Amino acid sequence: MSENNLYPIWLLPFAVTALSAYAVDYLSTAEAQHIIFPQQQAIFIEAPAKLTKQQRKQIKSLSGVRQRKDVQPAWRVEDQHGFLGWFIIDDVVGKHEFITYAVGISPQGEVLGVEIMAYRETHGGEVRNADWREHFQGKTLDDPFKLDKDVPNISGATLSSRNILDGVKRLLVLHKTVLQMR
Amino acid sequence: MAISFRALPLSLAVLLVSPTTLAGENLFGHVKGAETLPKGSGELYQKLTQRSDKGRGHYTAYDAVTEFEYGITNSLSSTAGIKMQSIDTNGLLIEGYLPEEIDTGLELSGLEASLKYNFLSPAKDDIGLSGLIGFDYTWKDKHSGQDKQTASVETALLLQKFMLEGQLTWVGNLGMEATYAKRDEIDGLPEDFEWPTDPEMEIELIFGTGLNYRFAPKWSLSMEVLYETEFETEVGQERWSVFAGPSLHYGSQTWWATLTWLPQLEGGGEQYEDQSDTDLHLIEKTETEVRLKIGFNF
Repeated sequence: MSENNLYPIWLLPFAVTALSAYAVDYLSTAEAQHIIFPQQQAIFIEAPAKLTKQQRKQIKSLSGVRQRKDVQPAWRVEDQHGFLGWFIIDDVVGKHEFITYAVGISPQGEVLGVEIMAYRETHGGEVRNADWREHFQGKTLDDPFKLDKDVPNISGATLSSRNILDGVKRLLVLHKTVLQMR
Repeated sequence: MAISFRALPLSLAVLLVSPTTLAGENLFGHVKGAETLPKGSGELYQKLTQRSDKGRGHYTAYDAVTEFEYGITNSLSSTAGIKMQSIDTNGLLIEGYLPEEIDTGLELSGLEASLKYNFLSPAKDDIGLSGLIGFDYTWKDKHSGQDKQTASVETALLLQKFMLEGQLTWVGNLGMEATYAKRDEIDGLPEDFEWPTDPEMEIELIFGTGLNYRFAPKWSLSMEVLYETEFETEVGQERWSVFAGPSLHYGSQTWWATLTWLPQLEGGGEQYEDQSDTDLHLIEKTETEVRLKIGFNF
């Protein structure tokens, strides 16, 4: 048998990757903003957090995870009664791709809500379930942020669960060290 | 039971574009990670390995393994597989190992099953740890293609560590395989050609390590090193070898593929007569292995 017949096999999967390349985005920025801040008159003022190298180092030191972005997309949220908090969009590493999620943080540094905007992993679609995301509600930097203590693990998506949990903690640190200082 | 390889590319292509196929992740060609499948989920693997070049004559072997893995619980998964192989060799005879020039075509060669239990999760604990026990029965010799019955039990400890939030993954494997083997007689061999048919016992130790880095969404590169050594009833340490090389991995939500190139860097133990490259073990191993693994999740 000639092995020449087999050569195409080696590269076949990579040749067809384009066929399966797709992305699933569940929420737009505007949709996520109005779910986390349902106030009728809420306005979202784009105010990205531009971070210095020193600030990124400080965030890593306090949260335990890397602050990957130099510019963190953030919106200051207000309504007719005043300042409601911050809306931040972030990405964390998933098993195959980045997981995009949004977090609302109150002026006092409490998590108001977490919404999964894009999740493209094989297992762990449960991260989008409201029951799981509710565990983040009211979390502050005083909480331990441990998987299976603060927030339950999702089987088959432990890395995704942990990275979202760590990501929310990192955004609370960013809020405390950068956004609250404004 | 020879089957043509020519149909394989078409079969793979059909599988790959099928909307019913789903995917997981297996980053390395040889070394294994510590993660298990979640309860109730399944994964279908197709592995194809080319082993080529023994330093003289022509030697090309293909091993094709089709495996199905199932998550019994979140910590325990089981695997069952069918093995096929083809051996094409000429211009090289080795006493006790390669008795004839042969071109077998692809034929069924064995069955395998294993259980993997996860003690520590790499994503939750400081380091991931799993134990693996595998059973393997073959009726074709992996080296010569001749009739040979082997029954093996493999045990392994699998370590895994995520770094950089999972963008960098390290794995380490420690394994031991015990094998009972018995060759069938071959008619027509020269009387002075050594082809022992008494049962023999072999113990193989396997140490492997690998590092994987995801350089872009869905795409990662790995480097792995594999040290294998075998001890046999009569000769003590029969062979050892070090293979090392890179893998390119693509993993999506629905399927994954890993292509590995693993040349033998160093080897020792038994050698065949007049072997030119004496820094390699070329009786049971070859100079190069290339492996393609494809997985689909269910």
